[in-house]
Amino acid sequence: MVNATLLDGLRPSDLDLIERGWSPYRLRTLERLLRSGAPREDWPESLHWDWSKKRADLRLLEASGFGIVCNEDWQGVLMTKTASHAARLPDDTGKPIVYVDYVEVAPWNWRIESLGQKSRFMAVGAVLMRTAIRQSLEEGFRARVGLHSLPQAEVFYRNTCGMTPLGRDDEKQNLLYFEFSSEQAKSFLDQGGAS
Amino acid sequence: MTEQTHDDKPSHEWLLKMAEAEDRCGSVSVGGMAHDVGLLESQALPEAPRVFGRLIEYARRAKGLSVERLAEVADVDLGELVAIEQNEGPVPSARTVYRLGLALNLSSGKLMELAGLAQPQDDYLSQAAVRFAARSEPNAALSPEERAAYEEFVKVLVESSERRD
Repeated sequence: MVNATLLDGLRPSDLDLIERGWSPYRLRTLERLLRSGAPREDWPESLHWDWSKKRADLRLLEASGFGIVCNEDWQGVLMTKTASHAARLPDDTGKPIVYVDYVEVAPWNWRIESLGQKSRFMAVGAVLMRTAIRQSLEEGFRARVGLHSLPQAEVFYRNTCGMTPLGRDDEKQNLLYFEFSSEQAKSFLDQGGAS
Repeated sequence: MTEQTHDDKPSHEWLLKMAEAEDRCGSVSVGGMAHDVGLLESQALPEAPRVFGRLIEYARRAKGLSVERLAEVADVDLGELVAIEQNEGPVPSARTVYRLGLALNLSSGKLMELAGLAQPQDDYLSQAAVRFAARSEPNAALSPEERAAYEEFVKVLVESSERRD
């Protein structure tokens, strides 16, 4: 186990730094996948994302950015919004939530079976989700958190985090929407989710 | 930017449990913002490799470079470059696409889409690509019509990249 630092208040320029650090590795990963002949469905779904394109979103008043730094590298990034989304769980409908707009871990932390690549640092995603819950508590939203998961990550939010899936969203390219109730979120903080 | 100082540090046990569980899952990517800024995958670009090969060839000729000189300047394999321009062989390597983008002053992200390495993000570019691919056959130097077709398509590439910045 190693010590890492959680930073908040990410600035648009930080996203450029992150992209500069991650894009060469992402490119090499893409080449290795192409050479290996791995089926396209096995490729990481965020392979072609470019963090620097999110600068405008980070300037919004409701937006916050967090990052985990270890060994002088960005290991994962979280971006949230606190005003434009409301809870959908039946008991919480309409209440304010922290909406997780974007989560990504560094490409060297992707586990890619077909390349035999293991995560360099593990639990980065879980610590970022923990950060979103803490933000919800600090905002007075009682730990409520919502997000749209990419298909490959659904098992993480359902099984590891213990969030409730609330259906696919036509307006978000059919991504599955998940939400933490207060109880689920606190269980995740204390015990580490559903399983 | 500040370092968080609240006393909510996860326990050693929590981290170990999460490390194991997260590793079993493989991915944690969330896509709300990716959807909003057009980064999620959509349908494939029609005739993508053909458009890519034609664009590289036109861009090279517009700069007055031979195939050998472009391979040298971009530091890519000559055989691969020939295969790209002739629309033969497999999908080019990401490094090659990236290096060609640098050498020809074209957006690497858009070239990735045209080469079939990433999914295209907007219909505007797709339609322009099809129009571009349908233009006349290549000659040693760009004819006025070919140059116009090339410049029109590069304009779309630039506009398409700027819209997503």
